[in-house]
Amino acid sequence: MQQSVLTVDSKDAPDLSTIVDSEDGMSAVEVSSCSAVETKLTEESIDCVVTGYEIEDDTGMDVVDTVRAESPQTPVVLYTDVSPGEIDTASFEDLIVEYLNNDLPDAADRLTFIIDDIIGHSVQVGFMTPEDEDDRIEALNGYDIKKLPIEDSFSRLTDLIASHFDASVSFIGLIEEDQENFLACTGADWDSMTREKTMCTHSILQEDVMVVEDVREDQRFSEIDAIENFGIRSYAGANMTTPDGHVIGSVCVLDTEPRSYSLEEKEELQQYAETVMEILELRDTVQTGDTPEVEA
Amino acid sequence: MSRAASGDFKIDRLYDAALDSGTSILLTGDDTTDIESVFHRLLTANADEQSIVLATDDNARSVRRSFEDVEGGTGDRTKVLTAEGPARDDDVTAIEDISDLTATGMSFSTVIANAQQQTDRFRAGIFLASSICKAVDDTRSVYRFLNSNFLTELRRGDGIGVCALDTSADLGSSTNSIVSGIETSFTGHIEITDSGITDMTLSVSGIDALPDTIEVNRR
Repeated sequence: MQQSVLTVDSKDAPDLSTIVDSEDGMSAVEVSSCSAVETKLTEESIDCVVTGYEIEDDTGMDVVDTVRAESPQTPVVLYTDVSPGEIDTASFEDLIVEYLNNDLPDAADRLTFIIDDIIGHSVQVGFMTPEDEDDRIEALNGYDIKKLPIEDSFSRLTDLIASHFDASVSFIGLIEEDQENFLACTGADWDSMTREKTMCTHSILQEDVMVVEDVREDQRFSEIDAIENFGIRSYAGANMTTPDGHVIGSVCVLDTEPRSYSLEEKEELQQYAETVMEILELRDTVQTGDTPEVEA
Repeated sequence: MSRAASGDFKIDRLYDAALDSGTSILLTGDDTTDIESVFHRLLTANADEQSIVLATDDNARSVRRSFEDVEGGTGDRTKVLTAEGPARDDDVTAIEDISDLTATGMSFSTVIANAQQQTDRFRAGIFLASSICKAVDDTRSVYRFLNSNFLTELRRGDGIGVCALDTSADLGSSTNSIVSGIETSFTGHIEITDSGITDMTLSVSGIDALPDTIEVNRR
């Protein structure tokens, strides 16, 4: 499949598009300003952005900032002969970017290698992934969610869960490669959210129910605007685990006050998550026409 | 095209075993001196290798001395990025602000790329990731740094890496969650679970070359 690489024209890397276009399987989309980067990210499917540092009216760091704001999981490479010590990062301390000095003897080769690598490995994301990530995604894709008649059942379940825990919000979410998709949600109107902004991204990394008693006291979440804007203060999430042992999503409750959950409550939430998986499995079995395995 | 070559990395200064190229280890414990001892014994470079250390709390001289304590002559095979003290020579890069992970990441990648112009094989480490977590407001930037720089360089190059984290550091209520989050993206985890007067016990997971439990001297 052809990789679409957005190249930002700059004084210190004038040959970016030529390098990209010369590589089999890559094609360059050339722009020359931050505003054009923003537009292209909105209009087209871009796999990677490569920029020099000295671009018209702005710097390469402004380009990185624009990409993180518009499409946070799109990887960016800063390809320049300006050394890291000379690059002004004062306003961009947590952007993190792949840096490649184009003075290196094999810089052009390295660039195309890096582009291919970062697209293939989603390496610039702001979250850690489970060690079975590839198998987990494959397991998730095995469920044809759009065709399964689960919406009403799951909506009733999230109503029940919110009521049972007296929580402001309850939801069932699937953790896909780039985002969390909400299959049902009570107390909020959410369809999907970028993965690095969701708390479930972290809860699927641990085996037991993850509880965050006060998100403002937890560095992983205290700076996430979406959580702050929704007024969320506490979280509890239980894993949805496939029969093969892959965690594909979470069943969660959120509240607008700091709160703790007893061992019994955590076990109850886990039971709800297991019920969700049972429904998903049964509906999937009916849909595909497979005969379910019955344990003696 | 792949830049990774094959080859085992012997870790016999700690234990009689060798790690595959690309191996990444999360090293945790609650005693900084013990963590430091294990860290340097894993990362001490052999003659055809270089050690590359991002030091959050030590200056370059101190880092080199720690390697020399493990084995004489290895300090010269060390490149240091340090948040403590100036860059006194070409093998030292000063980090002005450890919370500026954008600049730190670019410097780290540059040091690795320059080292690879001399020799392909390297052992890279962060001492201490807990200090970085304390310095930043948003842990996501630490994850992005580890993904984008540290783990990526290990995957692409011919090297092994150790990320040390002091669990006694004040990271708010989330220390255990941060450890379990980071752990999943590393090849393995070495936890210093117990230490006596002369020995310490290491609990190992995810590293085939090592048993589940190792007793080593504290040095």
